[in-house]
Amino acid sequence: MQEFIIRRIIYTVFTIFAVATILFCIFRIMPGDPTAQVISPALDEASQARLKEAFGLDKPLYIQYGLYLKGLVTLEWGRSFTTSKPVFEILKYRFWNTVFLMGAAMSFTLILGTALGMIMAWKRGGPLDVSATVSALVLQSAPPFVTGILFLMILSYKLDFFPTGGMNTPGERLPGGIAMLFNTDFLHHLVLPAVTTAFYYLATPMLIMRDSMLEVTGSDYIELAQAKGLSPRTVMIKHAARNALLPVFTVSSVLIGFALGGQVIVEQVFSWPGMGLLMVEAASAHDYPVAQATFLLLATLIIVLNLLADITYCYLDPRISVSGGKQ
Amino acid sequence: MKFSIVKDFLVAQYKIIRGNRFGMFGAVILLFFGVIALLAPYIAPYELWESLRDSSGKLAILRHPSLEFPLGTTAMGRDLLSQLILATRTTVLIGLTSGLVSILIGANIGLLSGYYGGKLDEVFMRFTDIVYGMPFLPFLIVLISLFGRNIWFVIIAICCIIWRTSARVIRAQVMSIRQRQYIQAAKARGCSNFRIIYGHIMPNILPLLLLYTAFNIAWSVLAEAGASFLGFSDPNNITWGGMLYNLWISGKIRTAWWWFATPSICIILLVSALVFISRAYEEVANPRLKQR
Repeated sequence: MQEFIIRRIIYTVFTIFAVATILFCIFRIMPGDPTAQVISPALDEASQARLKEAFGLDKPLYIQYGLYLKGLVTLEWGRSFTTSKPVFEILKYRFWNTVFLMGAAMSFTLILGTALGMIMAWKRGGPLDVSATVSALVLQSAPPFVTGILFLMILSYKLDFFPTGGMNTPGERLPGGIAMLFNTDFLHHLVLPAVTTAFYYLATPMLIMRDSMLEVTGSDYIELAQAKGLSPRTVMIKHAARNALLPVFTVSSVLIGFALGGQVIVEQVFSWPGMGLLMVEAASAHDYPVAQATFLLLATLIIVLNLLADITYCYLDPRISVSGGKQ
Repeated sequence: MKFSIVKDFLVAQYKIIRGNRFGMFGAVILLFFGVIALLAPYIAPYELWESLRDSSGKLAILRHPSLEFPLGTTAMGRDLLSQLILATRTTVLIGLTSGLVSILIGANIGLLSGYYGGKLDEVFMRFTDIVYGMPFLPFLIVLISLFGRNIWFVIIAICCIIWRTSARVIRAQVMSIRQRQYIQAAKARGCSNFRIIYGHIMPNILPLLLLYTAFNIAWSVLAEAGASFLGFSDPNNITWGGMLYNLWISGKIRTAWWWFATPSICIILLVSALVFISRAYEEVANPRLKQR
């Protein structure tokens, strides 16, 4: 098992490195002046040349690549073109805002999805089964900006139940760090974006839990539990559901990766000051240092989450590491 | 001879779709959008960016749906019905092209990786892992903002990412088929690898391929809609996501419900049609689903 984990960690480092390299290449082969990604074209000729030298952009590509990698590791991600703040300082807050939102949304979707999937398999073919399948598939087909705007139109503009965006009411200060999570104003702002994200991804855990439950209920040990005279509720929850959770767990890491990539839209609709919104702002303003660093941070987050899921999975299902890796 | 194979294939597909209530619904919707996409330039009553005046000569700004403008107008006095029809064409073009190209990439990587195994498999799967690490929409945004707002860059960017899921799933399926006796028999008979992969294995994963073709098209449509909603799309061609972007930046989101409704419904209808069709194929690819 140890060998499996070590190999996975090496793969992870390699993957992050590869993503960073691909990003470096993309920014270099872009049309126009590639140095425009580090030095604002708005500056005059002389200061551009001075900055080029300072950033090492007059050097050959392989040295630039080395400098780029060194900068990534030492957290020197350059300065924003638009605000001239260090990129790291900007991202520090944005990172946690996205993580909080995603954490809330994904917990909600996974808990609701598995619970619904369990009940659907239990009462298969019933009205709940059919209606939940259809509505989850339709929700999956509705992009988050459609559901998000719909929520805003009904729940915010019309009924005024929820704020229209942002993380806090203007004028009210949010406490920093963990204390923010217990701030009612913050939680009030969190509801709509989290629910919008959760609904979009609900179908996957729900349908997988349903299928996996149906698979499990055919097993011998379930029949044995039933033969022992246990109540259907006990059999379903204690015996079937626990074992059916494994495939949901497997898919959840991929799902969270997809959700982090799609986060951009929800943050835009609800003006949530996370990495996604930063990404859009930076890309529209051609603020390349910010765009590049945000992209890499998102990618790293996804890759590391996948690693954690793999390691946990390997403890939950030891067959994986014995057979030498996921098939 | 060749024609009869094609005919048998089409009849078989028709039966699969026909046998499934939701699949049938999906097929009808798909056909509907297909026809609109083909005829778009001929049936759209106005030009895409034409600012219209009503019968009394006033600019028709933010009109509710009426006889004159069946779906209403935008903040610039543009006809929403015409925009919707022309957007269907662009959306279908982008969705279909990137869906088909990406399944071509994904299927081939999955087939080769699953069939040959070993070093090739290792290389392909590490590469797939890398692509799995890419956040999809940020990748689209970066690529489009760097290379230019143009339909073809949108398609290329979508194709770069979307093949990943199909490659993994098809690889797993091929690995289990590779062990079957008829493949071993074909090998013993001296069939070339090419023939085994495309002549013997591929027909057996056809339902899976079609399932993921439908999925890939659906994801392409969603991805494109997302990118255009964020403002990263070709400014010369409108898509449903782009119509919603125009609404969003016009700031009329509180009042102009008609402007919001139709493009949203179109996206949901098209994507769910594709999802329902893929569900129909899922029941063929995985027959146990149906028995339950």
